[in-house]
Parts: sequence; C-alpha cells; structure tokens
Amino acid sequence: MFCFQCEQTSRVDGVAGCASAKGVCGKDETTADLQDVLIHLLKGIGQYSTRLHQLGQPDNAADSFIMYGLFTTLTNVNFNRAVFMELIPEAARIRDRLRAAYEAAAAKAGQTAAQLSGPAQFQPADNLAGLLAQAQIASVRHGVEIVGEDVIGLRALILYGLKGVAAYAHHAEVLGQANEEIYAGIAHALDFLAGEPVDVAAMLDEAMALGRLNYTVMQTLDAANTGNFGAPAPTEVLTTPVAGKAILVSGHDLRDLHNILEATKDKGINVYTHGEMLPAHGYPKLHAYPHLAGNYGGAWQNQQSEFAAFPGPIVMTSNCLIEPQPSYRNRIFTAGPVGWPGIRHIKNDDYSQVVQAAQAMPGFTEAAPEKKVLVGFGHETLMGAAGAVVDAVKSGAIKHFFVIGGCDGAAPGRNYYTDFADHAPKDAMVLTLGCGKYRFNTHDFGTIGGLPRLLDVGQCNDTYSALQIALALAKTFECGVNDLPLSLIVSWFEQKAAAVLLTLLALGVRNVRLGPSLPAFLTPALLGVLVEKFGVQPITTADADISAALNRQAA
Amino acid sequence: MVVTLVTRDAARLEFPCASGQDVLGAAEAAGLYPPAMCHEGSCGMCQARVVEGAYEMGPHTESAMPAGPGGVLLCRCLPQGDVTIELPCTDAQVGRHKIPVREAEIEAMAQAGAGAVALTLRLRPDAELGLAVDFIPGQYMELTILGTETRRAYSLANLPNWEGRLDFIIRLQPGGAFSSWLGERAAVGDVLNVRGPLGHFVLDESSPRPRCLVGGGCGMAPLLSMLRHMADFQDSQPVHLIYGANREDELLPAEELDALRAALPQLGVTLSVWRPGPGWTGFSGTSADALDAYLATAAETPDIYVCGPPRMMEAVMSTAQRRGVPEAQIFAERVQS
Ligand SMILES: Cc1cc2nc3c(=O)[nH]c(=O)nc-3n(C[C@H](O)[C@H](O)[C@H](O)COP(=O)(O)OP(=O)(O)OC[C@H]3O[C@@H](n4cnc5c(N)ncnc54)[C@H](O)[C@@H]3O)c2cc1C
Ligand code: SF4
Ligand code: SF4
Ligand code: FES
Repeated sequence: MFCFQCEQTSRVDGVAGCASAKGVCGKDETTADLQDVLIHLLKGIGQYSTRLHQLGQPDNAADSFIMYGLFTTLTNVNFNRAVFMELIPEAARIRDRLRAAYEAAAAKAGQTAAQLSGPAQFQPADNLAGLLAQAQIASVRHGVEIVGEDVIGLRALILYGLKGVAAYAHHAEVLGQANEEIYAGIAHALDFLAGEPVDVAAMLDEAMALGRLNYTVMQTLDAANTGNFGAPAPTEVLTTPVAGKAILVSGHDLRDLHNILEATKDKGINVYTHGEMLPAHGYPKLHAYPHLAGNYGGAWQNQQSEFAAFPGPIVMTSNCLIEPQPSYRNRIFTAGPVGWPGIRHIKNDDYSQVVQAAQAMPGFTEAAPEKKVLVGFGHETLMGAAGAVVDAVKSGAIKHFFVIGGCDGAAPGRNYYTDFADHAPKDAMVLTLGCGKYRFNTHDFGTIGGLPRLLDVGQCNDTYSALQIALALAKTFECGVNDLPLSLIVSWFEQKAAAVLLTLLALGVRNVRLGPSLPAFLTPALLGVLVEKFGVQPITTADADISAALNRQAA
Repeated sequence: MVVTLVTRDAARLEFPCASGQDVLGAAEAAGLYPPAMCHEGSCGMCQARVVEGAYEMGPHTESAMPAGPGGVLLCRCLPQGDVTIELPCTDAQVGRHKIPVREAEIEAMAQAGAGAVALTLRLRPDAELGLAVDFIPGQYMELTILGTETRRAYSLANLPNWEGRLDFIIRLQPGGAFSSWLGERAAVGDVLNVRGPLGHFVLDESSPRPRCLVGGGCGMAPLLSMLRHMADFQDSQPVHLIYGANREDELLPAEELDALRAALPQLGVTLSVWRPGPGWTGFSGTSADALDAYLATAAETPDIYVCGPPRMMEAVMSTAQRRGVPEAQIFAERVQS
C-alpha cells in the first residue's frame, strides 16, 4: 500500500506516506490496495463518460456511481475490504456498459469511436490475490521513476481534490440536486488523470478547473441543504444531555439525519448531533423536530471516549470514522459510503435496528446543567446582517475578519488554531466552519458591533457561505476580496479540505494560511508554485501570523 | 516494570509492562484503552507526559509528538524502569473492558443432537446496559447457578442483540456438576447469574485470507455464532466448516446447517464422524483428519479457528502446523478448563 492523501499521513523518520501494513487511520494494506484498483476503474468509467457527455448521451447512473465510489475512498470513510470486493466488479461492469454505449453513440453520430487505453481496458482479477497483484499499476506513485515526484504530486493534488468534490456532490445528489456541469466535470477530471498527464501547466489548469467546479458543487449543496431544510438561522444548541433514550448521529449527511429524525418521531428517543452534524441545528426544518435534542461531544478524533460513554446507538453517516472500540462496536452503525468490517451498515434507510438499540439501552438517566453554543450563520443570515457589519467596519468597531475554517485532528500542532482564535484582537470578527471549530466554539468571544464576535458558518462545505459574505463585502467596499481586511486560516485534514483549497486558489484568494502541516504530496517545487502564484503561506505561530495578517492590512 | 498512568482527574491506573513492550500495548493487555488510533507513533492521539522514570521513544512522526519535557506517544514509549505518566484525558475517557454481571432467566431448553441441550436465557434489564447483549461472536459467558458455587464457561451461539437473548449449546458431561443440574433439575424460569462477555476467540475480520472453522464435541457454539455473524453481514470471505462428532446422532440438526448454507452461499462444510454407523456417507475420522484432507487441496492457506476439547485441539494444531499454517493464522479456544 501507499497512501499520502491526508494530513496525518505517516512521517516516521521524515519519510512521508503510509506504506506499511496499516495506515495511521487504521486502513489496512488490502483495503488501501483495493481502493486504488477501484479508482483506476473509475478513471475508466470517466474516460467513456466524458465522451458520452460530449456526444450528448450522458449516463448519469454511472456518474453517480463514480461520486459514490470516490467518496468511499476518502480518509476515515470506508475500511471494509468486502465493500471494495463488490464495488470493483460493479465498476468494471459499468465501465463496459459505457464502452458499448459510447461506441453505439459514436456510430450513430457518424464518428469512429476512439480506441481508449489505460483504465478503459483494465481487466480486474476476479479474486483477491489477483487484485492485489494488479494494485501496483493503480498506485498513486505508479510511474514515479519515469515522470518524477512533481508530476506524481500534482496528479495527487487533482485526484484528492476530486475526491472532495465527489463527496460534496454526493451529499447534494442524495438531496435531489445534481446537474450536468457537475457530472461532466467529475468525469472530465478522471479522464484527464486516466491520460497520465505530465505537463505541469496543464495539470495546474486542471486543478484550477476543479477548484471552480467545486465552487459550483458547494453552491449546489448549499441549494440542496437550504432547499430541503430552510436557510440556516441563528440557533442556540444544547451541548449537555437531557434525560431519556438517545441516538447519536455523526458525519455530514443532513438527509440521513432527517431520516433518523423521522424514524424516531414520537418514540421517546432524543437525537443528538456529533462532530460535523452540529450545524444541522441551524436548519429550521430540522430544528423543528422537538426530539433533535442537542449536540454531544466534539470533533472526530475524540470519538472513542465520547462514543464509549454515550448511552445509546451511534450512526456514522460519512467521515470521520475511526476504529470502533470493543465497548461500542455493537451499537455503532454506518450509513452511505461509510464502512468498517464487522460493523452494522444501514441499508435502504432502514433505521429499525438503531431504534431498537436506543430503546433497549438506558439513555441518559438525568439531564446535566445546561450549556449552549450558537450556530446557524449561513449566508442568508449574514447577508441580512450585512448592513450592521458594514456600519461596524466603517465605524472602526470591526477592523478585521478571520475565517478560521477546516478540519480538526489529533496532532498537537493543531493547538495553533485554538491560540489563533483566542488571541485574535477583540476588534476582529471570527468566522468558523468545519470541525476545527470545536477547539474554541465554547469560549466566550463577546460581541462586536452588536453581533456575536464568533460566527459559526456551518460545515466545511459552507465555505461557500463565507465566500458569499466576502464577495458581498468586496462589492460594498468596491474592492477585491484580497483588498478586504480578511484573512483565511485553513486547517486541512482530508480531501474535502483539498477541494476547498483549490476553490480558494481558483477564485484568486491570496494569502491563505495553510496548516497544521503541508500536504505530503506537494513537493518543494509545487509548494514554490503555490506560494509564488497563489500566495499560500504555511502557518508559523498564532501570534506571529495574527500580526502578519493585521500588518499586511495596514501596509 | 510498573507503569502508573495519572488521569487529568487524578485517577491512578497501574499495570505491569515487560521490557521492550510499549506503554499502550501494556495498558491494553491490562484491559485499559486510552484514546489511540494508529498504534505506530503517527497520529498523535495517544500523547502523554512522563513525569517520573526513564523511557525511550521508538520510531515516530515528529509532528505527532507533544512539545515540552517528558512529552511522549504511549504507543512508542518504552519504559526503562517504573514510570509515572500523566494522561491528557479523564478516567472516564479511558476505555475499559467492562465485564458486566447480570441475571438471566431460562426461557427455553431443547435437545440439540444426542447428549446436548440448546439453552436460551433472557437477561433481566440492567440500569446501565438495558437489554443490550453486547459481545463479539466467539466470546463466552460464565454462568453461575444461583445459590451455588458452580460456575462454568459457555460460548454464545447467537448474535449480539437488543432483546436480552443468550443462546448456548451445552453438551452434557456425565456426572458433571453443571451438566447434572441442567439435565436433571433446571426448569424454565430458573435464574442464573451471567458474567461476560469474556474471551478473545473472535474472527480477525481484517484478514484477507479464507477461513476454516474447526469444531468438535461441545465446541460448536462459538463457530455457529461466527458463521451467523458472517451470514448477517453478507460477508463474502471464503469459509469452510469442519464439524466433528463421535457419532452421527451427536451432530446438530441438519436444518441448522441448511439455514447457514442458504445465507452463506460460499460456505463449504465437512461433517466428520469418528465412529460412524453403517449408513454414513460423509467423512469418517476425527476433525483433525478432516482438516488434513481439506488443507491438502486448499488453494490458499486459510486462517484456522478451532474450538473443542483439549485432545481434539492438540490434534488439530499439530495437523495445521504440519501442513505449514503459520502460528499467527491459528485461533484457538479450549472448551475445557
Ligand atoms: C471458554 C470455554 C467455553 C466453553 N464453551 C462450552 C460450550 O459452548 N458448550 C459446552 O458444552 N461446554 C463448554 N465449555 C465447557 C464447560 O465450561 C464445562 O467445563 C462443561 O460443561 C463441564 O461442566 P460440568 O459442571 O458439567 O462438569 P464438571 O463438574 O466441571 O466436570 C467435568 C468433567 O469431569 C468429570 N468429573 C466431574 N467430577 C468428577 C469426579 N469426581 N471424578 C471423575 N470425573 C469427574 C465429569 O464427568 C465431567 O465429564 C466451555 C469451557 C470453556 C473454558
Ligand atoms: S488516509 Fe491518511 S492516514 Fe489513512 S492511509 Fe491514507 S494517508 Fe495514511
Ligand atoms: S471537517 Fe474534515 S476532518 Fe472534520 S469531520 Fe469533516 S471530513 Fe472529518
Ligand atoms: S496511537 Fe497514534 S501516535 Fe500513538
């Protein structure tokens, strides 16, 4: 196995990449290799799908399969080898179906069908040993001796960004929002990768195209979320338990949460959010369920002790899952793209076992003294407050905006983000999104210009909302986003953050602070490009970076 | 060497640590599970601070190490003598192998082949656990007859569930204390004390190899639970069951295996009978003989799960070794103490 797609990738003795029998996340060698083979086949589907899109005969079922397939390979999503043993032959069948469809469509259009090679022709073995023997050609490092590290790194940037795009697109699609641009864009990126590109300029262009595509995808996901559940409104969320039976829902999928709320209606079971599900409380139609009781716990890396102590079943709807400990193995369930061997998987939205488990378990025997956090500052709310914000900027009450967004993780270096939020001057407004917020969202930030000084914009995909606000401010002040007193402090962990970073770069947002460590797949030369062309800056210390941000503004 | 972990709320957790063993491994061996993920010095989840004692750090990712004096990763910290280590979490956040003790009523007893009883118990609801029957297929429970000292281990044959249901298959040992009680005096409604789950005889679900389950005598229950688990999860891993008995009437009722075969299409079964009657057309011999025949033609060396009385176990283990099955691929449970 070789995997270096996430921030916590092994760097034992300075060598980057998880390459032993098991990755840092717990993904084993077999699963990692099978994931590589699956991605190779998805490229093959992408090759034919792209041509079908061009011929006006898209196969959207295949395109959704691509999104789902890519999603299963994100960090902390699916660890179940058996799932990949099924997805691989399915991918091959779909690819072959598309090949036939493409040849027919080409003939009909009076063209000769192109003879595609590479993943388009790859025949996966029908047994595990055979697949593992094939995995080498599907590895992200395949061909490094010939093309060199920079090319491998750029291909990885595109692939990992694409995984993030696919995950967001899948979330939007299950809520009924998808479009040609997204389907074709994802297929195109796979087709591009299938061609084993070596031209650095072309790859950078592709990465930027992916960043723009991700903007559309986040916009579509925003439309899906707000369309189904209403525009987020400021909402106080209980972070302490109430007495009664309980179910915990983690991950990012609002549709799954909604289905669980429906399945537990009038059953005397309280539903709690966990991790990235916290922003769900801001959506009026979810908030309206009286048994959506509160939020329990914090970011994903604390789940072992939090899940062990939770007195009811747990549902994991997307990343980030880590190895379930024995004490809760039997009461944790996975849904959608998520999986772990020996852990129950919800099929066809049937939550009856989860309900049964909640009823069989004692739940919380008593309420704890109430504590709350405030969520729900999506773009509609923020636009509504734009007048007040603009006034506060003009009066000098708000001198700077920091967007501290992205993922959390276990590495000690992530204290940087806690320090950053805590040390930001009192006349700076802090916007936050992603699960990194748990490091500081219970701290008292006070108010600024009549608004809370810390605004929770939502999940990591709600970067879209943060961008709307930035664009609106830039318009009001008749300047570019880079001229605003605004700094983006991005903490990355997995591939959705890679997609968001590409979006920021594609939109020309400069001076993004990236940490806690830089992606292992970016070589010094590629980092040089990011720094020079896009002004990306690695983090240093919180205090130094705060004053640099403020001084840049003063300069 | 002794390791003392001090939690943020000042609980002191003490356990032994061998030379060359890392603190996390020693803690887990002692049934304590501090937060941890990669077990290889990379994720930073197991960070802690040594406040007293000498230690060395094995290979790790530098950025995962906590800053400051004594900062360590438990999974890579090798004590060189007694050490005291501060954990950044509370006592409640350290996972424990809690072994609940509960009461259960006999709900049903039925014959399961000659000389064996299928016993079904129903747990009484528990304040902390409700009706959850939480275990990993392959594990066992200790049953104590109320008001007596008679306590015996029996493997669970069913699956974890939320209904308080525990199924066992108990082979009656002539003259045995528990066997006599069960065979002669026990009645529906009687109450037993139940302690568990216990044991480490469980499937290695991360292994990519085919599985071969070998059971004999009273050792069928855990294997049944494993197979039911695989069926329940539509686990497509190749699996072969070798089920040995002295006489064919001691085999489980055929419906039991038919149900498994229906749910697990890839399941191969060898029924082996040591002293078969004249009409027997299946394999004649011990389960070790049957395993030998199976391994002789197996395309890939399987993981072997074996459960049964000591003599059978020894025969099976030596067959496996002779056929070159690595020790790490043999999982065993003795059902007689
Ligand atoms: C981990 C584990 C799992 C197990 N799972 C199962 C299971 O699923 N099913 C199952 O049937 N068993 C299982 N066993 C075995 C079970 O625990 C008991 O050992 C078995 O049922 C015998 O218990 P008993 O009280 O009936 O016999 P005991 O009283 O313990 O006696 C055991 C044997 O010794 C003989 N004996 C007793 N007293 C004397 C004496 N004074 N002189 C001569 N011989 C004597 C008896 O005849 C009997 O054959 C398991 C054991 C272990 C350790
Ligand atoms: S996802 Fe991250 S931790 Fe897991 S194997 Fe890949 S790089 Fe390693
Ligand atoms: S924001 Fe990233 S790290 Fe956090 S839970 Fe979501 S996927 Fe995981
Ligand atoms: S468990 Fe990951 S560093 Fe120790």
